[in-house]
Amino acid sequence: MKKIFVIFLIILILSISLPLLNMFLKVSVQDLIKTLLDEEVTKSIFLTLRASLWSTSAALIVGVPASYILARHNFFGKRILEGIIDIPVIVPHTAAGIALLTVLGRRSLFGEITGISIMGTETAISVGMFFVSVPFLINQVKTGFRLIDERYEKVAYTLGATPFQTFYKVSLPLVKKSIMSGSIMMWARGISEFGAVVILAYHPMIAPVLIYDRYESFGLNYARPVAVLLITICLIVFIVLRFVEHKSGNNAK
Amino acid sequence: MIEIRNLNIKLGSFRLKNISFEVKEGEYFVILGPSGAGKTVILELLAGLIKPDKGKISGINSKKSALIYQDYMLFPHLNVFKNIAFGLNIKKEKKDTIKKIVTETAAKLDISHLLNRDILNLSGGESQRVAIARASAVDPLVYLLDEPTAALDINTRKGILELFKNIHKENKNTFIHVTHNFEEALFLADRIAVIKDGEMIQIGEPNEIFNHPKSKFVADFVGFENVFHGKIKDNIFTSVHDEFFKLYLPSENTNNIYLAVKSEDIIVSKEKFESSARNQFKGIVDEVIHKLANIEIKFKVNNSKLICAVTKFSFEEMQIEPGKQFWLTFKSSSIKAFPH
Repeated sequence: MKKIFVIFLIILILSISLPLLNMFLKVSVQDLIKTLLDEEVTKSIFLTLRASLWSTSAALIVGVPASYILARHNFFGKRILEGIIDIPVIVPHTAAGIALLTVLGRRSLFGEITGISIMGTETAISVGMFFVSVPFLINQVKTGFRLIDERYEKVAYTLGATPFQTFYKVSLPLVKKSIMSGSIMMWARGISEFGAVVILAYHPMIAPVLIYDRYESFGLNYARPVAVLLITICLIVFIVLRFVEHKSGNNAK
Repeated sequence: MIEIRNLNIKLGSFRLKNISFEVKEGEYFVILGPSGAGKTVILELLAGLIKPDKGKISGINSKKSALIYQDYMLFPHLNVFKNIAFGLNIKKEKKDTIKKIVTETAAKLDISHLLNRDILNLSGGESQRVAIARASAVDPLVYLLDEPTAALDINTRKGILELFKNIHKENKNTFIHVTHNFEEALFLADRIAVIKDGEMIQIGEPNEIFNHPKSKFVADFVGFENVFHGKIKDNIFTSVHDEFFKLYLPSENTNNIYLAVKSEDIIVSKEKFESSARNQFKGIVDEVIHKLANIEIKFKVNNSKLICAVTKFSFEEMQIEPGKQFWLTFKSSSIKAFPH
């Protein structure tokens, strides 16, 4: 049985790695250097990394306490709330973009009242990324909190800690790893987002939009080096982050 | 005095029903019962960690009571020193004060050499000592102990129990200790409460519980049908309740000891016989109780009672019936001693 299963595993790995590998092989070093020196490309890659960082940071601030509530407390309608948080994972992301546009666009209630339009700004990009990637962080951190024995918190209470002190002196350090891996997942998901962002902000162009734009305007050969560059940078960053995460130890059991 | 009145709580399929008891200041109170009887829930209620559905708890300040769990619950992200210092840090004590208290507490508990160690590298006994240190560093009025030795091997267990006894003796804190181990209860308790399926079955001093179990459950749970409270002088035990009831038991002199003998270990005979057994009594049959596996006979020996178990065969052959006199014999080595 093991042999057959291993074959399935190999098929799976190849189906992911072969297209990527093939694409890497099709790009010459000269093309890659030329792309690296292309200011539009580097700018858009940095914009992508940065916007996703903002959205992940915002998610950390609201998402970690929210995850804690979901993990620790049972209340009426909790299942529904959890379902709502998972919606962005299942809806088409262009649809998510349209939904956001309806709420945040120039003609929306928000736009009418505040006179602010975030369309076509870095903020819009971050909002789009937040919407589609926040479940990754919440679910990871929620699981982390759930796995922590509640009695650690109980001991802290009896030692005089307030609920807030207990949270940041005990619960939070114990889910450090979940928070880190959740953040990495969310950030990565944000970087790869196309559908929601392209509706909220075609310009300034994030890397996935730029890749699409170059493919549409100039064809495959022009889009490919940008894709290769983006993937390379992402891979390097993730490997570094995973390494840091691994070094920082495990979630306490 | 801590007072618990008509406590009721339902947690999932488990419920506590009308629990009432009092614990005096400075008392060592043991809650005895099998696992799943609701002992931990009572402690968490006392610590103010959960709220009862009904009932009242008074006389306990949850901020002044320390909870110690059987699996220690040491914070894994902090080393030994920081674990012990946790409560002091919360109180915002000065750094010097914290260092002083932690060092002193660690010295008292024999864990000074562990202060810089990681929690994950500690043995069970060491972990429990650190947990006790963490609790006692904040100088609690009440110790709430949740099966504190259940995860430890026998030798380590003894050390930890003695530790509780010493802390209790020295500081006169109130202790509420839950356990399923009746030896622990005999060793430590001023009073014992027996709990089963969320209900309090009996509360009293150890000899009351063991000699006059209110229900079969208590008796079975205890496992020893004969328990005597008294003192030992020159290898002779004298019961506090009956000065004529004496047992031979080679032992150090002590003023406070419990002895326990299983009913199966007592030989019933018509005549006195010579043997290596040093304890022989004349007893009169008081009551005969037919059980599934054997027959239990309550004998009156002076003002005390002895419960012996015999097979149905012996029972019939010896024509045992109330009012008849028999000799009861058991070896000193079948006596279990629990110094108190």
